[in-house]
Amino acid sequence: MSSAVAGARSLAGRYYSLAVVLAAWEALARSGAVNPRLFPTLDAIGASLWTMVADGTLATHLGATLLRVFAGFGLAAVAGVALGVVMARLPAVGRVVEPLFSFGYPVPRVALYPVFVFLFGLGHLSKVALIFLECLYPVAIHTYAGCRGVDRLYLWSAAAMGARPARVFARVVLPAAAPAIFTGLRIALPVALVIAVLTEMIGSSRGLGWLLTYATAALSRPQVFAGVAAIAAVGFALDRLLVVARARLLPWEHEVPPIAVDAR
Amino acid sequence: MAEEIRPLARALVRSAAGPGRGPWRARSAPAAASLAVIGAVVAAWQLLAQARLLPAFLVSPAAVAGQLVALAVSGELVRHAAASLYRSVAGLALGAGGGVALGLVAGVARPVAAFFDPLVALTYPVPKVALLPVLIVWFGISDLSKIMVIAISCFYPCFIAALYGARATHPTWVWAAQSMGARPARTFLRVVLPAAAPQIFSGLRVALALSFILMLASEMIGSSNRTGLGFLILAADASGRFDLMFAAIAAIAALGFGADRALLGLRRILAPAALAAEAAPGE
Repeated sequence: MSSAVAGARSLAGRYYSLAVVLAAWEALARSGAVNPRLFPTLDAIGASLWTMVADGTLATHLGATLLRVFAGFGLAAVAGVALGVVMARLPAVGRVVEPLFSFGYPVPRVALYPVFVFLFGLGHLSKVALIFLECLYPVAIHTYAGCRGVDRLYLWSAAAMGARPARVFARVVLPAAAPAIFTGLRIALPVALVIAVLTEMIGSSRGLGWLLTYATAALSRPQVFAGVAAIAAVGFALDRLLVVARARLLPWEHEVPPIAVDAR
Repeated sequence: MAEEIRPLARALVRSAAGPGRGPWRARSAPAAASLAVIGAVVAAWQLLAQARLLPAFLVSPAAVAGQLVALAVSGELVRHAAASLYRSVAGLALGAGGGVALGLVAGVARPVAAFFDPLVALTYPVPKVALLPVLIVWFGISDLSKIMVIAISCFYPCFIAALYGARATHPTWVWAAQSMGARPARTFLRVVLPAAAPQIFSGLRVALALSFILMLASEMIGSSNRTGLGFLILAADASGRFDLMFAAIAAIAALGFGADRALLGLRRILAPAALAAEAAPGE
């Protein structure tokens, strides 16, 4: 009991700044110093959010967005890990592909979205393709760096104990590269959501991004803020999912900052 | 924390190359192979387009290059590129300046970190582009709302990188500076800042790429004065001018690439690898 209280207290202590920010928002919204149409109160935003949950609007658009995110991210995770492994295993491939990635990294792929619309249409496919392309970069690059960073002593020991290449890969290289792979995935997942929302804002008839542009055009301010809150919650939940998965799969690794430390 | 920095430092030291083997020798061959691949793709594209085997919207590279030259001659290219660059650079400067400053302070002052760390951790995975409608509500469809959304996006990687960079400063150096009589301000400027510099540049590089993505995104979603390369892409797309669209895409790609190279050059001057070598205590 007392440990539960202490736990709640330490949680409140950790996240007190969030309460401060929310309280400041509410105070500002109620003070009358700002236009309440531009700064809706928290309960107005909450009420709008609840309306969208109750009538199923949110579920429809959330479903469309999540479908695109998971399809693009999932494909990129599989293809990116495979590509990174091949690049590390076959130096000839690595030498050709790695500069393509490092040259292509600063080029904003979003610019290709109109081309993708022509290739794949306005529906799911063009958005999934752009998400795939954006997510492929961090996953492949981090897998590549992780596989190349495996301690030689581990490889030699495994070989000396008679492990075949396939076994060395499955039991030594993959576990050793796993933290780097997870870092790549953790960078890619928010990107997937960004691209999904963004492409939905540019051209779509469904999804959370479309909901935002629709609410903006309809001058329904609380709904705009409710949409932002919903997207924020989705982004946070997806990231937590990955952190929990990582803790379950790699119990020996500590959490690292969610930032790309470039491998160059 | 040093555990996370060490691989980066090691990689930087390795890239500084040993004596007798210039860095160019080690690098030029693979880059040439990649350039050959790119060249082959462009050549194949050109041949297929000339043979009319491609759909009409995939115009030939030669037509795109011709359109790019025409845009440059008429001054249109400079006008749109300048509008785009102004937005992304202003947003990057605001966001990166704030992020690096606050991150460094949070790295050395516990209460500041205790306030901002949970907020940043909670809001980091949130797609900042979703804030664009809110910012448009507050500031209108103007340069300001675009610059603000770019600044907010760039703040995050810079804050995180500066925070972890400052925390990774080896305590021995701080103690050494203090025992030699350096005041806190001087210790911060001469010890913590240089020690965090390599990490800060990693954060800046992520922020630079983000600033271009959000610049394009905000121009595609709503451009007030009909300028910017993102606007040009969508306008050309809407009117079926695919040569113009690809020319604008090529211009964006070149700008993004050039800005990234400039940043890497700046890093070589301001945070040379020798510094990173020292930043790996116990090596």
